Amino acid sequence: MSRKKAAKGKSSASSPCASPRRKAGGKRGKGGSRSEPQANGLAHPCRPPGLSSSGEFYDLAFKVMLVGDSGVGKTCLLVRFKDGAFLAGSFISTVGIDFRNKVLNLDGVKIKLQIWDTAGQERFRSVTHAYYRDAQALLLLYDVTNKKSFDNIQAWLTEIHEYAQQDVVLMLLGNKAEVTHERVVKREEGEKLAKEFGVPFMETSAKSGLNVELAFTAIAKELKHRATKEADEPKFQLQEYVDREMRGTACCSCRQRCSLPFGIVTP
Amino acid sequence: MESRANGARTARQRAHTDSGAKERVPRVDPYGFERSEDFDYESYEELMSEYLVVLTRRSIKWSKLLQRSNKVQKNLKVKRYVRKGVPNEHRALIWMVASGAQEQMEKNQGYYHTLLAGEHDPKLVEVIHTDLHRTFPDNVQFRKSSDPCLQKALFDVLVAYGHHNKAVGYCQGMNFIAGYLIIITKDEEKSFWLLDALLGRILPDYYTPAMVGLKTDQEVLGELVRVKVPAVWQAMMEHGVMWTLVVSRWFICLFIDILPVETVLRIWDCLFYEGSKIIFRVALTLIKHNQALILQARSFPDICDRFKQITKGQLVEDCHTFMQKIFAEPGSLSKATVNKLRETCRARILAQEP
Repeated sequence: MSRKKAAKGKSSASSPCASPRRKAGGKRGKGGSRSEPQANGLAHPCRPPGLSSSGEFYDLAFKVMLVGDSGVGKTCLLVRFKDGAFLAGSFISTVGIDFRNKVLNLDGVKIKLQIWDTAGQERFRSVTHAYYRDAQALLLLYDVTNKKSFDNIQAWLTEIHEYAQQDVVLMLLGNKAEVTHERVVKREEGEKLAKEFGVPFMETSAKSGLNVELAFTAIAKELKHRATKEADEPKFQLQEYVDREMRGTACCSCRQRCSLPFGIVTP
Repeated sequence: MESRANGARTARQRAHTDSGAKERVPRVDPYGFERSEDFDYESYEELMSEYLVVLTRRSIKWSKLLQRSNKVQKNLKVKRYVRKGVPNEHRALIWMVASGAQEQMEKNQGYYHTLLAGEHDPKLVEVIHTDLHRTFPDNVQFRKSSDPCLQKALFDVLVAYGHHNKAVGYCQGMNFIAGYLIIITKDEEKSFWLLDALLGRILPDYYTPAMVGLKTDQEVLGELVRVKVPAVWQAMMEHGVMWTLVVSRWFICLFIDILPVETVLRIWDCLFYEGSKIIFRVALTLIKHNQALILQARSFPDICDRFKQITKGQLVEDCHTFMQKIFAEPGSLSKATVNKLRETCRARILAQEP
């Protein structure tokens, strides 16, 4: 009998150790127990830090959701962010809804992102709708080599407006930016559309790593800012942040970023 | 406690056995799936040494049964046999006969090939194409370099089915199911008729655009958990976790990629023979057996994590014991109960839909 699938657990967030169940249970302590955010709201800044079931400590937790047409690279983007890897031809189509966790360290604050990966096929939307209202951030993807996936962005936005929280953090990503020959959606077209809808935008490449870290870090920063800011503090400018990060010389989550001609644009 | 010297010797011995097991066990499983880098060869070999005895015993029994008559009659004895596992050499036959696929295939000779020869809906072809290279990339038989490459058979079966059942067309998840059928039957036409049996008769409408059957069964599972494992149901409510988030893939993929391959095949033996009720038995066993672990969860994400954990480990690896458990642990589960719950849940869902 095969143990293949059990071993695969390494790619899922939950089992970094051989027997996560005992470890998670044993370590859970006073601090960890009532520390999680509400299922439907932002994490409260004053609560004590939490402990995920994989035994990782964190201060804040947020739910992020990846949406977009089938085959635009949602899972690849997530795996690149989570494991820093891109193995061509190793991805399977996502069925229904799946998730992976990653803890980020932002200015000394540990942020746990629970990232939900959804099936792109239209009929699954009625299943994933259920989760929209709980997501605090959405990354909406299209594939720069697939015109249809770009044309469908407007429909996705309509859907998001209907089902997501009013103040959901949203970002539009044009993925597979490393492909040159088969590109059919120009960066400017992505910029234009994003501007029209007032959504931050950038091009990404799960394959090369371009802007992948930045996309997730940016939304995490925004969410953290919202959760911890004082009443009179100014709003976090997501687009300005990514713009600045793009131009900054002290980069880089990915080396290609500086040498490639596409980046992030202010709407 | 062991002495230090003893401990060291045990570790050395273990390291020795480790490399031994790795040399003895093939890197690719009998179905073509590559074992991952962290595959535990040692405990696999240990489990297999016991399971092989079971397999041999079952194989002899099945051979005798099939020798006596070529026709498989559905009766209590065969049902018992199926629950104990169908040997791989008879699997295709038993699935075909038990599900009625055989009968359909014989009644509709040439139909499959007619579907393939007919004009293809370009939209259907496109969506299927998107998933072809994303179906079992870890299976050597599905590699482009393999001869024959099963991607071709997969494409044919899915396209034919899409034209056969236009209300369903193609739904993601069907690629994995058809893929398993092709691996087991090694025959496109049989795979097509088995897919037809599953989607057309055995399962409710999981794969239609509205996916009402899927939503219904997720709710039915919720209701069953409420009665049979109330503490877990309570925890799900407290943390606001919707069933669809943690179990949708269990239903749509019929446990493919969730549970180990051999365990999935054993479940499917019963699925083809007894029907879709078995899915609830498996789900309830996973949940009930791991109740304590789930209840340790303190948050929404934590619960989700644990629902992933419970599909791994010894419980599901040891497929033979697991199959015994699914008929014992969840307690009684009558067809009437399931049907009644399906009726109520479906009505509730339809009332909520816009």
